[in-house]
Amino acid sequence: MRLIQLLSIAVTLASTSAAHAKVEIVTTVPDLAALAREVGGNKVSITALSLPTQDPHFVDAKPSLVLKLNKADLLIAVGLGLEVGWLPVLQNGARNPKVATSGTGYLECAQHVKLLDVPTKAIDRSMGDIHPGGNPHYLFDPRQAASCTQAIATKLSELDPANAKVYAANTKAFLAKLDKARGDWEKRMTPYKGHAVITFHRSWIYLVEWLQLVSIGELEPKPGIPPTSRHVAALLQLGKSKGVKCVIQEAFYPDKTGRLVANKLGGTVVLLAGGSDVGAGETYIDHMTHVIDALESALK
Amino acid sequence: MNRSVVVVWIVIAAVPRAGHAQPIDAGVPEADAAPAQQPAEDAAPPTKPELTAAELAEIEAALGSDAKDTAATAPAAAAPVASSFNPDIALILDVAAAWFSEDDNLQTGGHDPLKTGFNLQSLEMAIGKAVDPYFRFDANLAFSQDGVEIEEVYATTLELPANLQVRAGQFLTRFGRLNPTHPHAWDFLDQPFAIGRVFGGEGNRGLGFEVSYLTPAPFFLELVGSVTDANGEGTARSFFGPVDSPVKSLVDFESLLAAKEFFELSDNWSLALGQSIASGPNATGRDTRTNVMGVDLYLKYRPITFGSDTVVALQSEWLYRRRQMPDGVASDVTGYAYLFWRFTKRWGTAVRYELGTASGDDLDPEWVDDRHRVSVNLSFWPTEFSRLRLQGSVDDPTWQENPIWAAFLAAEFSVGAHGSHKF
Repeated sequence: MRLIQLLSIAVTLASTSAAHAKVEIVTTVPDLAALAREVGGNKVSITALSLPTQDPHFVDAKPSLVLKLNKADLLIAVGLGLEVGWLPVLQNGARNPKVATSGTGYLECAQHVKLLDVPTKAIDRSMGDIHPGGNPHYLFDPRQAASCTQAIATKLSELDPANAKVYAANTKAFLAKLDKARGDWEKRMTPYKGHAVITFHRSWIYLVEWLQLVSIGELEPKPGIPPTSRHVAALLQLGKSKGVKCVIQEAFYPDKTGRLVANKLGGTVVLLAGGSDVGAGETYIDHMTHVIDALESALK
Repeated sequence: MNRSVVVVWIVIAAVPRAGHAQPIDAGVPEADAAPAQQPAEDAAPPTKPELTAAELAEIEAALGSDAKDTAATAPAAAAPVASSFNPDIALILDVAAAWFSEDDNLQTGGHDPLKTGFNLQSLEMAIGKAVDPYFRFDANLAFSQDGVEIEEVYATTLELPANLQVRAGQFLTRFGRLNPTHPHAWDFLDQPFAIGRVFGGEGNRGLGFEVSYLTPAPFFLELVGSVTDANGEGTARSFFGPVDSPVKSLVDFESLLAAKEFFELSDNWSLALGQSIASGPNATGRDTRTNVMGVDLYLKYRPITFGSDTVVALQSEWLYRRRQMPDGVASDVTGYAYLFWRFTKRWGTAVRYELGTASGDDLDPEWVDDRHRVSVNLSFWPTEFSRLRLQGSVDDPTWQENPIWAAFLAAEFSVGAHGSHKF
C-alpha cells in the first residue's frame, strides 16, 4: 500500500514536471524542423532525424534515432512514402504509442497540402520508384510550407493547449513574414516565367509549378533510375530546342551528368541543399532565399 | 570457375551502365505527370457529415475525455490516403548458380547454395500489419522445393508502458547481429558457419516469448530476454537439437539474455555493440546443459554531411560455446569478421574471414581441428528491389585433405511491400 502511495506521488511529480517541460518535437526532414521552430518558439525542443545534405529516401534507421522518438511528444513527417524505407522501423522500436502512425502525436503534413503527381492510372515499379500517393517534395513550394505550418500549429495547440495562444501568435507572425518573402521571391522570378529547366530527380515539380517555370524532363529516365546515355542525349536535344539554361538538383545527388548537360547547353547546374540547415540556425525563409538567389543567377 | 566469371560479365554487361549511380525514388514518370495540379480537396472522402460546435460539445460531454481526444485529432482531411486492412505482403526470391570443387561441401546454412548447379535458396514471404491498437503481427514463410516452412510468426506489443516490448510466437532469437535477420538482409549470400554450427542452418529460433526493455541510459541500450523451445536440428542444434524431449520444468527451455548498445560517434560514423548469452539443456545426458556466449560489433561509415554514396562497414561476431556432456565439457569458438564497401550507389564489395576451432563435440565429430574460410563478394543493385551477386570462397577445414573452393552467382528479386530493416 505504501509502495502504491509512493508510486502515485512519483507519477504525479513526473506529470507535473512534464506539464512545464518543453514539447519534444521530432521531424523527419530539416525543413519541417525549421517550420516547427517558427510555430513552437521557445516552448518546444526540436530534433530533425535527417540532414539537409542527406537524401531523405535513404536514411539509416539508427538506434540513436529510436531514442529520439522514444522521448518525443510529436513526430512530424512528410508522408507519401518518402520515409517508408526507415521511419516505420524507428516507430516500431520507439515504444512510444504517441508517435505511432495511429498515435495522437503523429502528424503527416502531406494530409494538408495540395499534391502534385498523384497517379491517375495504375502504377507499378517498372515505372521506377514512384510514390502512389503523389509527389512528396512539396516543401520547395512556400505555399505548401505555409499549409504545413498551419497544420503544425493546430497539432501543437491540441497537444499543448496551455500554450495555444503563443503558437497561434507565432504562426500568424511567421506566415505574414513568409507571405511577404514569397511576394519578393515571386517578383524576382517574374522575368523567368515560362523558362525551361531540367531537373535531376522529379523533386522540383512544386517549385517549378509555383514559379511557373517549365520542366522539360529529368536526368533520371525513371524515378530512382540513374541517367542513361540515350536518355540524356534525347533530353539534351530537347533542352537545346527549348533553350534550357539551368539544370536543378539537390547537392546530395551525383552532379557529373548535370554538369555535363548544363555545359553542353551553355548554362549552369544549380546545386541546392535538400532543406534548411537547422543545425546551423538557418530558417526556412533563409533557405528558400538561397534557392531563389541560385535560380535567379542561373536563369539570368 | 572461369565459366561463372564469364557468365557474370555477360549479365553485368547486359544491364544498362551508368557513369555513376543515383538514389532511388520519387515522383512519377513523365507519362503519369499529366494532371499538373490535383487539388487535395478533390480526393477527399465524398461526404463527411459536419457537426456543429454545439453538437460536438454535446458528444464530448457524453463520452468524456476519450471523445475529446478523438475529435481533436480527427484529420482535417484531404490527401488521398492509401489504406487497406489487408496485411502488407512481400515476396523475395533468392536463386543461385553454384560450383563447388568437392562434392562434399561443408555449407551449413539452410538457405545456402548447397550443390553445384542451380539452387533455389529461398522464396520468402513476409507478411505484416497492425492487429489492433495493441499488437502488430509479423510472419515470414519460406517456400522451398520441398514445401513451406514457418520461419517466423509472432505478435509484437505496441502499447506496453515502461519502455517494454513483448514478442510472442515463433521468432528468431536476438542473439548477436546476424541471427535475427533473414538472408535477403545479408551482405553475403550464405550464412556464416558460426550460426550453422552452433544453432543450425535456420538460425536460432523457437516458439516462445521475448521481453525487451529500452533503458533510460544516455546512449541507446536495449536489454532483451527470451524463453523459447530448445528443439530443432536446424534451430537449436547445440541444445536438444532433433531430440524431441518433453518439457518438464523451466530449465528445459532455451533462455537468452542480450544487450544491444549503439553509439552515434558522429553524423557519419556509427558503432553498434552486442553481448548475448543463450543457455539451454542438451540431449547428451541427464541435466547436461549448453551455454553459448556471443559478442558482436558493427562499425559503419556512411557520410551524410556531404553528398556521397559510400558505405564502409566492419561487422564481426564471435561465439563461445560450452557443452556439458556426461563425460566432460566440450568448448569451442566460432566467428567471422567482414569488411563491406559500397563504392557507388549500385556497386559494393565485401571480404569475410571465418574461423571455427576444434571442439571434441559429438555434434560434429569430424571437426577435430581449426576450420578457416575466406569469402569475397561483389554486389550490383539495379534498384533497391533487385540485387545480383558474385561470390567466391575457399574453405579450409584443416582435417580435410583438400580445401573446398566455391563460386556462386546469385540473384535476388523482391516485390510487394516489405518493411524496412533495423540498423
